[in-house]
Amino acid sequence: MKRPLIFTVPKVSDQRNEDGYSCSHRKQVWALSDGASISFDSASWAQILVRRFCRDTRFSRDWVTAAVAEFSKLYNRNDLPWMKQAAFDKGSFASLLGVQLHDDARLVQILAIGDTVAVLCDGDDVVATFPYMKASEFDQSPQLLSTNPSENGFLGEWEKSDKLGCDWRFDRLKSPALLCMTDALGHWFLSRHEEGGIPIKTLRAIKSFKTFVKFVKAERASGQLRTDDTSLVAYWS
Amino acid sequence: MAYTAEISRDNPTCFLFVIDQSGSMDEKVEGGRSKAQFVSDVLNKTLYTLVTNCSKADGVRNYFDVGIIAYGGSDVRSGFGGAISGNIIQRISDISENPLRVEDRTRRVDDGAGGIIDQATKFPVWLDPTSSGGTPMRAALLKAMEVAAQWSDQHRHSYPPTVLHVTDGQSTDGNPEELADGIRQISTDDGQVLLFNLHVTAGGGQEIVFPTSESALNDEYSRMLFRMSSTLPGHLAKFAGDKGYSISDGTRGFIFNGDPKCIVDFFEIGTRPRLVADR
Repeated sequence: MKRPLIFTVPKVSDQRNEDGYSCSHRKQVWALSDGASISFDSASWAQILVRRFCRDTRFSRDWVTAAVAEFSKLYNRNDLPWMKQAAFDKGSFASLLGVQLHDDARLVQILAIGDTVAVLCDGDDVVATFPYMKASEFDQSPQLLSTNPSENGFLGEWEKSDKLGCDWRFDRLKSPALLCMTDALGHWFLSRHEEGGIPIKTLRAIKSFKTFVKFVKAERASGQLRTDDTSLVAYWS
Repeated sequence: MAYTAEISRDNPTCFLFVIDQSGSMDEKVEGGRSKAQFVSDVLNKTLYTLVTNCSKADGVRNYFDVGIIAYGGSDVRSGFGGAISGNIIQRISDISENPLRVEDRTRRVDDGAGGIIDQATKFPVWLDPTSSGGTPMRAALLKAMEVAAQWSDQHRHSYPPTVLHVTDGQSTDGNPEELADGIRQISTDDGQVLLFNLHVTAGGGQEIVFPTSESALNDEYSRMLFRMSSTLPGHLAKFAGDKGYSISDGTRGFIFNGDPKCIVDFFEIGTRPRLVADR
Protein backbone atom coordinates (compact mmCIF):
# COMPACT_ATOMS: atom_id res chain seq x y z
CA MET A 1 0.00 0.00 0.00
CA LYS A 2 1.39 3.39 -0.97
CA ARG A 3 1.98 6.01 1.64
CA PRO A 4 1.26 9.71 1.33
CA LEU A 5 4.09 12.23 1.19
CA ILE A 6 3.75 14.80 3.97
CA PHE A 7 5.48 18.17 4.01
CA THR A 8 4.94 21.20 6.22
CA VAL A 9 6.81 24.46 6.78
CA PRO A 10 5.99 27.24 9.25
CA LYS A 11 5.17 30.80 8.30
CA VAL A 12 8.39 32.00 9.89
CA SER A 13 11.26 29.62 10.61
CA ASP A 14 11.61 30.49 14.30
CA GLN A 15 7.89 30.31 15.06
CA ARG A 16 5.84 27.28 16.03
CA ASN A 17 4.08 25.68 13.08
CA GLU A 18 0.35 25.70 13.89
CA ASP A 19 -0.51 23.22 11.15
CA GLY A 20 -0.83 19.67 12.44
CA TYR A 21 -0.88 16.31 10.68
CA SER A 22 -1.13 12.67 11.58
CA CYS A 23 -1.13 9.47 9.60
CA SER A 24 -1.99 5.84 10.27
CA HIS A 25 -0.55 3.74 7.45
CA ARG A 26 -2.11 0.60 8.87
CA LYS A 27 -5.61 2.09 8.82
CA GLN A 28 -5.02 4.10 5.65
CA VAL A 29 -6.13 7.22 7.44
CA TRP A 30 -4.55 10.64 7.57
CA ALA A 31 -5.55 14.05 8.80
CA LEU A 32 -4.43 17.63 8.36
CA SER A 33 -5.38 20.62 10.49
CA ASP A 34 -4.63 24.33 10.34
CA GLY A 35 -4.69 26.10 13.69
CA ALA A 36 -5.90 29.70 13.52
CA SER A 37 -3.22 32.10 14.73
CA ILE A 38 -5.73 34.47 16.29
CA SER A 39 -6.49 32.06 19.09
CA PHE A 40 -4.98 30.83 22.32
CA ASP A 41 -3.21 27.56 21.51
CA SER A 42 -4.31 26.43 18.10
CA ALA A 43 -1.17 24.36 17.52
CA SER A 44 -2.02 22.00 20.39
CA TRP A 45 -5.67 21.93 19.33
CA ALA A 46 -4.74 21.04 15.74
CA GLN A 47 -2.50 18.22 16.99
CA ILE A 48 -5.26 16.81 19.18
CA LEU A 49 -7.74 16.85 16.28
CA VAL A 50 -5.50 15.03 13.80
CA ARG A 51 -4.25 12.49 16.32
CA ARG A 52 -7.78 11.67 17.44
CA PHE A 53 -9.03 11.39 13.87
CA CYS A 54 -6.37 8.83 13.04
CA ARG A 55 -7.37 6.88 16.13
CA ASP A 56 -11.12 7.13 15.53
CA THR A 57 -12.62 8.43 12.27
CA ARG A 58 -16.21 8.32 13.56
CA PHE A 59 -16.54 12.08 13.78
CA SER A 60 -19.52 13.39 15.76
CA ARG A 61 -20.36 16.06 18.30
CA ASP A 62 -19.38 13.60 21.07
CA TRP A 63 -16.06 13.13 19.29
CA VAL A 64 -15.49 16.89 19.43
CA THR A 65 -16.54 17.04 23.09
CA ALA A 66 -13.92 14.41 23.93
CA ALA A 67 -11.29 16.36 22.00
CA VAL A 68 -12.20 19.55 23.88
CA ALA A 69 -11.89 17.66 27.18
CA GLU A 70 -8.40 16.51 26.19
CA PHE A 71 -7.39 20.08 25.32
CA SER A 72 -8.77 21.44 28.60
CA LYS A 73 -6.43 19.15 30.54
CA LEU A 74 -3.43 20.99 29.08
CA TYR A 75 -4.13 24.08 31.17
CA ASN A 76 -5.24 24.92 34.67
CA ARG A 77 -7.67 27.68 33.69
CA ASN A 78 -7.99 29.19 37.15
CA ASP A 79 -4.24 29.68 37.47
CA LEU A 80 -3.86 31.54 34.18
CA PRO A 81 -3.27 35.32 34.24
CA TRP A 82 -6.36 37.25 33.15
CA MET A 83 -5.38 37.75 29.49
CA LYS A 84 -4.53 34.07 28.98
CA GLN A 85 -7.66 33.01 30.82
CA ALA A 86 -9.71 35.28 28.55
CA ALA A 87 -8.07 33.88 25.43
CA PHE A 88 -8.45 30.31 26.75
CA ASP A 89 -12.16 30.95 27.35
CA LYS A 90 -12.61 32.51 23.94
CA GLY A 91 -11.28 29.30 22.45
CA SER A 92 -8.64 27.87 20.17
CA PHE A 93 -9.69 27.24 16.59
CA ALA A 94 -8.54 24.85 13.88
CA SER A 95 -9.69 23.25 10.66
CA LEU A 96 -9.84 19.49 10.20
CA LEU A 97 -9.45 17.55 6.99
CA GLY A 98 -9.65 13.80 7.51
CA VAL A 99 -9.08 11.17 4.83
CA GLN A 100 -9.78 7.46 4.95
CA LEU A 101 -9.13 4.99 2.14
CA HIS A 102 -11.42 1.96 1.85
CA ASP A 103 -11.73 -1.13 -0.30
CA ASP A 104 -8.06 -1.39 -1.19
CA ALA A 105 -7.87 2.34 -1.94
CA ARG A 106 -10.76 2.29 -4.41
CA LEU A 107 -12.94 4.54 -2.25
CA VAL A 108 -11.87 7.71 -0.48
CA GLN A 109 -13.90 9.26 2.32
CA ILE A 110 -13.24 12.90 3.12
CA LEU A 111 -14.27 14.85 6.20
CA ALA A 112 -13.70 18.61 6.07
CA ILE A 113 -14.37 21.46 8.45
CA GLY A 114 -12.76 24.77 7.59
CA ASP A 115 -10.43 25.91 4.87
CA THR A 116 -8.10 22.92 4.54
CA VAL A 117 -8.89 21.42 1.15
CA ALA A 118 -8.71 18.08 -0.63
CA VAL A 119 -8.25 17.83 -4.39
CA LEU A 120 -8.91 14.69 -6.41
CA CYS A 121 -6.79 14.53 -9.55
CA ASP A 122 -6.55 12.23 -12.56
CA GLY A 123 -3.21 12.75 -14.21
CA ASP A 124 -2.95 16.49 -14.72
CA ASP A 125 -6.69 17.04 -14.46
CA VAL A 126 -8.58 18.26 -11.42
CA VAL A 127 -11.57 15.98 -10.96
CA ALA A 128 -13.06 17.41 -7.73
CA THR A 129 -12.21 19.65 -4.79
CA PHE A 130 -13.67 19.76 -1.28
CA PRO A 131 -14.86 21.71 0.66
CA TYR A 132 -13.85 24.72 -1.46
CA MET A 133 -14.19 24.86 -5.22
CA LYS A 134 -12.98 28.41 -5.95
CA ALA A 135 -9.93 30.36 -4.80
CA SER A 136 -12.18 33.26 -3.79
CA GLU A 137 -13.72 31.09 -1.06
CA PHE A 138 -10.49 31.44 0.90
CA ASP A 139 -11.31 35.14 1.40
CA GLN A 140 -14.22 34.23 3.69
CA SER A 141 -13.88 33.53 7.38
CA PRO A 142 -13.98 29.74 7.63
CA GLN A 143 -16.09 27.84 10.14
CA LEU A 144 -13.56 26.11 12.39
CA LEU A 145 -13.66 23.62 15.25
CA SER A 146 -13.21 25.31 18.61
CA THR A 147 -12.23 24.38 22.12
CA ASN A 148 -15.08 26.68 23.18
CA PRO A 149 -18.23 24.51 22.96
CA SER A 150 -20.48 27.47 22.23
CA GLU A 151 -18.57 28.02 18.96
CA ASN A 152 -19.35 24.51 17.69
CA GLY A 153 -23.11 24.93 17.44
CA PHE A 154 -22.89 24.75 13.64
CA LEU A 155 -22.07 21.03 13.86
CA GLY A 156 -25.66 20.08 14.63
CA GLU A 157 -26.81 21.70 11.41
CA TRP A 158 -23.90 20.36 9.39
CA GLU A 159 -24.40 16.78 10.59
CA LYS A 160 -27.89 16.82 9.08
CA SER A 161 -26.59 17.98 5.72
CA ASP A 162 -23.83 16.75 3.39
CA LYS A 163 -21.57 19.64 4.35
CA LEU A 164 -19.16 17.62 6.48
CA GLY A 165 -17.94 15.08 4.00
CA CYS A 166 -17.87 13.50 0.57
CA ASP A 167 -16.91 10.20 -1.03
CA TRP A 168 -14.66 9.95 -4.05
CA ARG A 169 -13.66 6.92 -6.11
CA PHE A 170 -10.15 6.17 -7.31
CA ASP A 171 -11.03 3.06 -9.30
CA ARG A 172 -12.71 4.98 -12.12
CA LEU A 173 -9.64 7.12 -12.74
CA LYS A 174 -6.58 6.25 -14.84
CA SER A 175 -3.98 7.99 -12.72
CA PRO A 176 -5.64 9.11 -9.50
CA ALA A 177 -4.02 11.30 -6.88
CA LEU A 178 -5.26 13.01 -3.76
CA LEU A 179 -3.80 16.28 -2.50
CA CYS A 180 -4.59 17.76 0.90
CA MET A 181 -3.50 21.33 1.53
CA THR A 182 -3.84 23.94 4.24
CA ASP A 183 -5.26 27.27 3.15
CA ALA A 184 -2.23 29.08 1.72
CA LEU A 185 -1.34 26.18 -0.57
CA GLY A 186 -5.00 25.43 -1.32
CA HIS A 187 -5.48 29.03 -2.43
CA TRP A 188 -2.32 28.83 -4.54
CA PHE A 189 -3.49 25.59 -6.16
CA LEU A 190 -7.01 26.74 -7.04
CA SER A 191 -5.76 30.14 -8.25
CA ARG A 192 -3.25 28.54 -10.61
CA HIS A 193 -5.88 26.08 -11.79
CA GLU A 194 -8.40 28.89 -12.45
CA GLU A 195 -5.74 30.74 -14.44
CA GLY A 196 -5.42 27.74 -16.72
CA GLY A 197 -2.22 26.43 -15.21
CA ILE A 198 -1.45 22.86 -14.19
CA PRO A 199 -0.41 23.19 -10.53
CA ILE A 200 -0.53 19.43 -10.04
CA LYS A 201 2.55 19.12 -12.25
CA THR A 202 4.46 21.42 -9.94
CA LEU A 203 3.41 19.49 -6.83
CA ARG A 204 4.09 16.11 -8.43
CA ALA A 205 7.72 17.13 -8.85
CA ILE A 206 8.10 17.63 -5.09
CA LYS A 207 9.55 14.44 -3.66
CA SER A 208 11.48 15.69 -0.65
CA PHE A 209 11.21 18.19 2.17
CA LYS A 210 14.07 20.13 0.63
CA THR A 211 12.26 20.62 -2.68
CA PHE A 212 9.06 21.53 -0.84
CA VAL A 213 10.87 24.24 1.12
CA LYS A 214 12.45 25.52 -2.11
CA PHE A 215 9.04 25.62 -3.79
CA VAL A 216 7.42 27.46 -0.83
CA LYS A 217 10.20 30.03 -0.65
CA ALA A 218 10.06 30.72 -4.38
CA GLU A 219 6.28 31.08 -4.50
CA ARG A 220 6.23 33.29 -1.40
CA ALA A 221 8.95 35.49 -2.91
CA SER A 222 6.96 35.88 -6.13
CA GLY A 223 3.83 36.81 -4.16
CA GLN A 224 1.91 33.80 -5.48
CA LEU A 225 1.79 31.96 -2.15
CA ARG A 226 0.47 33.64 1.00
CA THR A 227 3.01 33.74 3.81
CA ASP A 228 1.47 31.32 6.24
CA ASP A 229 2.10 27.87 7.69
CA THR A 230 2.01 25.68 4.58
CA SER A 231 1.31 21.95 4.46
CA LEU A 232 0.83 19.32 1.80
CA VAL A 233 -0.24 15.69 2.09
CA ALA A 234 0.07 14.12 -1.35
CA TYR A 235 -1.09 10.61 -2.18
CA TRP A 236 0.10 9.51 -5.61
CA SER A 237 -1.41 6.16 -6.57
CA MET B 1 -6.23 49.61 -2.52
CA ALA B 2 -6.66 51.32 0.85
CA TYR B 3 -7.29 49.58 4.16
CA THR B 4 -5.99 46.20 3.05
CA ALA B 5 -2.68 46.03 4.95
CA GLU B 6 -2.26 42.79 6.85
CA ILE B 7 -1.98 43.51 10.56
CA SER B 8 0.96 41.76 12.14
CA ARG B 9 3.61 42.30 14.77
CA ASP B 10 5.83 43.87 12.11
CA ASN B 11 2.96 46.06 10.91
CA PRO B 12 0.60 46.75 13.83
CA THR B 13 -2.30 49.18 13.66
CA CYS B 14 -3.33 51.86 16.13
CA PHE B 15 -6.57 52.65 17.93
CA LEU B 16 -6.87 56.03 19.56
CA PHE B 17 -9.85 56.66 21.81
CA VAL B 18 -10.69 60.32 22.50
CA ILE B 19 -13.03 60.43 25.46
CA ASP B 20 -15.05 63.40 26.70
CA GLN B 21 -14.91 63.52 30.52
CA SER B 22 -16.61 66.90 30.93
CA GLY B 23 -19.11 67.57 33.73
CA SER B 24 -22.19 66.73 31.67
CA MET B 25 -21.00 63.13 31.31
CA ASP B 26 -22.36 62.49 34.82
CA GLU B 27 -25.95 62.54 33.50
CA LYS B 28 -27.75 59.25 33.96
CA VAL B 29 -28.63 56.93 31.08
CA GLU B 30 -30.43 53.58 31.02
CA GLY B 31 -30.10 51.48 34.16
CA GLY B 32 -29.18 54.46 36.33
CA ARG B 33 -25.58 54.54 35.20
CA SER B 34 -23.99 57.82 34.18
CA LYS B 35 -22.84 58.40 30.60
CA ALA B 36 -19.26 58.43 31.92
CA GLN B 37 -19.82 55.09 33.66
CA PHE B 38 -21.33 53.57 30.55
CA VAL B 39 -18.53 54.79 28.28
CA SER B 40 -15.83 53.58 30.66
CA ASP B 41 -17.53 50.16 30.93
CA VAL B 42 -17.67 49.81 27.16
CA LEU B 43 -14.11 51.03 26.73
CA ASN B 44 -12.84 48.57 29.35
CA LYS B 45 -14.66 45.78 27.54
CA THR B 46 -13.23 46.94 24.21
CA LEU B 47 -9.69 46.89 25.60
CA TYR B 48 -10.37 43.45 27.10
CA THR B 49 -11.44 42.19 23.67
CA LEU B 50 -8.44 43.75 21.90
CA VAL B 51 -6.02 42.17 24.39
CA THR B 52 -7.81 38.81 24.17
CA ASN B 53 -7.52 38.85 20.37
CA CYS B 54 -3.76 39.25 20.74
CA SER B 55 -3.25 36.69 23.54
CA LYS B 56 -1.78 33.28 22.94
CA ALA B 57 -0.46 30.61 25.25
CA ASP B 58 3.06 32.02 24.87
CA GLY B 59 2.15 35.67 25.47
CA VAL B 60 0.49 38.76 24.04
CA ARG B 61 1.35 39.62 20.43
CA ASN B 62 1.67 43.29 19.63
CA TYR B 63 -0.78 43.59 16.77
CA PHE B 64 -2.18 46.85 18.19
CA ASP B 65 -0.96 50.10 19.68
CA VAL B 66 -3.67 51.79 21.70
CA GLY B 67 -4.07 55.25 23.23
CA ILE B 68 -6.73 56.99 25.28
CA ILE B 69 -6.94 60.78 25.24
CA ALA B 70 -9.27 61.91 28.03
CA TYR B 71 -10.47 65.51 28.14
CA GLY B 72 -12.52 67.56 30.56
CA GLY B 73 -12.15 70.85 32.46
CA SER B 74 -8.99 72.46 31.14
CA ASP B 75 -7.19 69.19 30.94
CA VAL B 76 -6.15 66.81 28.13
CA ARG B 77 -4.37 63.73 29.43
CA SER B 78 -3.76 60.04 28.94
CA GLY B 79 -6.75 57.98 29.99
CA PHE B 80 -4.47 55.22 31.22
CA GLY B 81 -3.23 55.23 34.79
CA GLY B 82 -0.25 53.80 36.65
CA ALA B 83 2.82 52.66 34.74
CA ILE B 84 1.29 53.38 31.33
CA SER B 85 0.06 56.91 32.04
CA GLY B 86 3.12 58.55 30.47
CA ASN B 87 2.93 58.29 26.70
CA ILE B 88 -0.50 58.40 25.05
CA ILE B 89 0.20 55.39 22.81
CA GLN B 90 0.96 52.08 24.47
CA ARG B 91 1.67 48.60 23.11
CA ILE B 92 -1.15 46.15 23.68
CA SER B 93 1.19 43.88 25.67
CA ASP B 94 1.98 46.73 28.07
CA ILE B 95 -1.72 47.55 28.37
CA SER B 96 -2.45 43.90 29.20
CA GLU B 97 0.07 44.00 32.04
CA ASN B 98 -1.08 47.29 33.53
CA PRO B 99 -4.79 47.58 34.29
CA LEU B 100 -5.69 49.69 37.32
CA ARG B 101 -7.02 46.51 38.89
CA VAL B 102 -8.38 43.06 38.03
CA GLU B 103 -11.86 42.34 39.38
CA ASP B 104 -13.31 38.91 40.09
CA ARG B 105 -16.63 38.52 38.29
CA THR B 106 -19.00 35.69 37.46
CA ARG B 107 -20.49 34.96 34.08
CA ARG B 108 -22.80 32.32 32.64
CA VAL B 109 -21.30 30.02 30.05
CA ASP B 110 -22.17 26.95 27.98
CA ASP B 111 -20.98 23.84 29.87
CA GLY B 112 -20.54 21.88 26.65
CA ALA B 113 -23.28 19.42 27.57
CA GLY B 114 -26.33 21.51 26.84
CA GLY B 115 -26.38 23.37 30.12
CA ILE B 116 -25.35 26.74 31.50
CA ILE B 117 -22.98 27.19 34.43
CA ASP B 118 -21.64 30.13 36.42
CA GLN B 119 -17.94 30.61 35.84
CA ALA B 120 -15.57 32.80 37.87
CA THR B 121 -13.65 35.10 35.58
CA LYS B 122 -11.08 37.86 35.92
CA PHE B 123 -11.96 41.25 34.47
CA PRO B 124 -9.39 44.05 34.17
CA VAL B 125 -10.27 47.72 34.57
CA TRP B 126 -8.17 50.44 32.97
CA LEU B 127 -10.54 53.39 33.03
CA ASP B 128 -12.75 54.64 35.87
CA PRO B 129 -15.56 57.10 35.12
CA THR B 130 -14.64 60.73 35.52
CA SER B 131 -16.67 63.85 34.71
CA SER B 132 -15.95 67.49 35.49
CA GLY B 133 -15.64 70.92 33.93
CA GLY B 134 -15.84 72.08 30.34
CA THR B 135 -15.30 70.36 27.01
CA PRO B 136 -11.89 71.23 25.52
CA MET B 137 -12.54 69.32 22.31
CA ARG B 138 -10.13 71.34 20.18
CA ALA B 139 -7.26 70.67 22.57
CA ALA B 140 -8.13 66.97 22.62
CA LEU B 141 -8.30 66.68 18.83
CA LEU B 142 -5.07 68.65 18.46
CA LYS B 143 -3.39 66.09 20.72
CA ALA B 144 -5.01 63.28 18.70
CA MET B 145 -3.66 64.82 15.49
CA GLU B 146 -0.12 65.02 16.90
CA VAL B 147 -0.24 61.43 18.14
CA ALA B 148 -1.77 60.02 14.92
CA ALA B 149 0.74 61.91 12.75
CA GLN B 150 3.73 60.68 14.73
CA TRP B 151 2.47 57.10 14.76
CA SER B 152 1.74 57.15 11.01
CA ASP B 153 5.21 58.50 10.25
CA GLN B 154 6.69 55.59 12.18
CA HIS B 155 4.45 52.92 10.59
CA ARG B 156 4.25 53.75 6.89
CA HIS B 157 3.22 50.21 5.82
CA SER B 158 0.55 49.73 8.48
CA TYR B 159 -3.24 49.88 8.38
CA PRO B 160 -3.75 53.53 9.41
CA PRO B 161 -4.83 54.64 12.88
CA THR B 162 -8.50 54.63 13.81
CA VAL B 163 -9.60 57.51 16.06
CA LEU B 164 -12.82 56.94 17.98
CA HIS B 165 -14.13 60.14 19.52
CA VAL B 166 -16.89 60.01 22.11
CA THR B 167 -18.58 63.22 23.29
CA ASP B 168 -21.89 64.37 24.72
CA GLY B 169 -21.59 68.08 24.18
CA GLN B 170 -20.34 71.06 22.31
CA SER B 171 -16.77 72.16 22.36
CA THR B 172 -15.99 74.89 24.89
CA ASP B 173 -12.62 75.84 23.40
CA GLY B 174 -13.61 76.66 19.83
CA ASN B 175 -14.59 74.98 16.58
CA PRO B 176 -12.86 71.59 16.26
CA GLU B 177 -13.77 70.96 12.60
CA GLU B 178 -10.48 72.04 11.04
CA LEU B 179 -8.61 69.75 13.44
CA ALA B 180 -10.83 66.83 12.46
CA ASP B 181 -10.03 67.63 8.82
CA GLY B 182 -6.35 67.62 9.74
CA ILE B 183 -6.63 64.21 11.42
CA ARG B 184 -8.31 62.68 8.37
CA GLN B 185 -5.56 64.07 6.11
CA ILE B 186 -2.90 62.06 7.94
CA SER B 187 -2.12 58.78 6.22
CA THR B 188 0.03 55.72 5.98
CA ASP B 189 0.71 53.98 2.66
CA ASP B 190 -2.46 51.96 3.34
CA GLY B 191 -4.87 54.87 3.62
CA GLN B 192 -5.94 57.93 5.55
CA VAL B 193 -6.57 58.00 9.27
CA LEU B 194 -10.16 57.07 10.10
CA LEU B 195 -12.01 59.40 12.46
CA PHE B 196 -15.34 58.21 13.82
CA ASN B 197 -17.53 60.32 16.10
CA LEU B 198 -20.10 59.21 18.63
CA HIS B 199 -22.52 61.52 20.40
CA VAL B 200 -23.92 60.00 23.58
CA THR B 201 -27.11 61.25 25.15
CA ALA B 202 -29.21 60.84 28.24
CA GLY B 203 -32.31 60.55 26.06
CA GLY B 204 -34.44 62.64 23.79
CA GLY B 205 -33.95 63.61 20.20
CA GLN B 206 -33.83 61.54 17.10
CA GLU B 207 -31.14 58.86 16.88
CA ILE B 208 -29.11 59.12 13.67
CA VAL B 209 -26.82 56.20 12.95
CA PHE B 210 -24.25 56.00 10.14
CA PRO B 211 -25.87 58.66 7.93
CA THR B 212 -24.84 59.33 4.34
CA SER B 213 -25.62 63.06 4.23
CA GLU B 214 -26.24 66.10 6.40
CA SER B 215 -29.82 66.41 5.24
CA ALA B 216 -31.29 64.28 8.02
CA LEU B 217 -29.47 66.30 10.69
CA ASN B 218 -31.35 69.25 12.09
CA ASP B 219 -28.78 71.35 13.94
CA GLU B 220 -25.39 72.79 13.15
CA TYR B 221 -23.66 70.78 15.90
CA SER B 222 -24.73 67.41 14.48
CA ARG B 223 -23.92 68.54 10.94
CA MET B 224 -20.46 69.50 12.09
CA LEU B 225 -19.88 66.09 13.72
CA PHE B 226 -21.05 64.47 10.48
CA ARG B 227 -18.54 66.48 8.45
CA MET B 228 -15.83 65.60 10.96
CA SER B 229 -16.37 61.85 10.40
CA SER B 230 -14.69 59.55 7.86
CA THR B 231 -16.63 57.47 5.38
CA LEU B 232 -16.73 53.86 6.59
CA PRO B 233 -14.34 51.74 4.46
CA GLY B 234 -15.97 48.77 2.74
CA HIS B 235 -15.03 46.09 5.27
CA LEU B 236 -16.32 48.17 8.22
CA ALA B 237 -19.48 49.14 6.31
CA LYS B 238 -20.11 45.44 5.70
CA PHE B 239 -19.60 44.65 9.37
CA ALA B 240 -22.00 47.44 10.37
CA GLY B 241 -24.50 46.09 7.82
CA ASP B 242 -24.13 42.59 9.29
CA LYS B 243 -25.07 44.08 12.68
CA GLY B 244 -28.33 45.30 11.20
CA TYR B 245 -27.55 48.93 10.43
CA SER B 246 -28.77 50.46 7.19
CA ILE B 247 -25.64 51.12 5.15
CA SER B 248 -25.28 52.88 1.80
CA ASP B 249 -22.41 54.23 -0.27
CA GLY B 250 -20.86 57.14 1.57
CA THR B 251 -22.00 56.07 5.04
CA ARG B 252 -20.06 58.04 7.65
CA GLY B 253 -18.69 56.64 10.88
CA PHE B 254 -20.95 58.88 12.95
CA ILE B 255 -23.72 58.27 15.46
CA PHE B 256 -25.79 61.12 16.90
CA ASN B 257 -27.90 60.68 20.03
CA GLY B 258 -26.84 57.03 20.15
CA ASP B 259 -28.43 54.76 22.73
CA PRO B 260 -26.35 52.32 24.83
CA LYS B 261 -26.54 49.57 22.20
CA CYS B 262 -25.23 52.01 19.60
CA ILE B 263 -22.30 52.84 21.86
CA VAL B 264 -21.36 49.17 22.17
CA ASP B 265 -21.68 48.66 18.41
CA PHE B 266 -19.72 51.84 17.65
CA PHE B 267 -16.70 50.55 19.57
CA GLU B 268 -17.01 47.06 18.13
CA ILE B 269 -17.27 48.25 14.53
CA GLY B 270 -14.53 50.85 14.93
CA THR B 271 -12.02 48.35 16.32
CA ARG B 272 -12.64 45.79 13.62
CA PRO B 273 -9.98 46.19 10.92
CA ARG B 274 -9.15 43.11 8.89
CA LEU B 275 -7.92 40.79 11.60
CA VAL B 276 -6.01 38.44 9.37
CA ALA B 277 -2.92 39.08 11.40
CA ASP B 278 -0.32 36.33 11.27
CA ARG B 279 -2.77 33.73 10.02
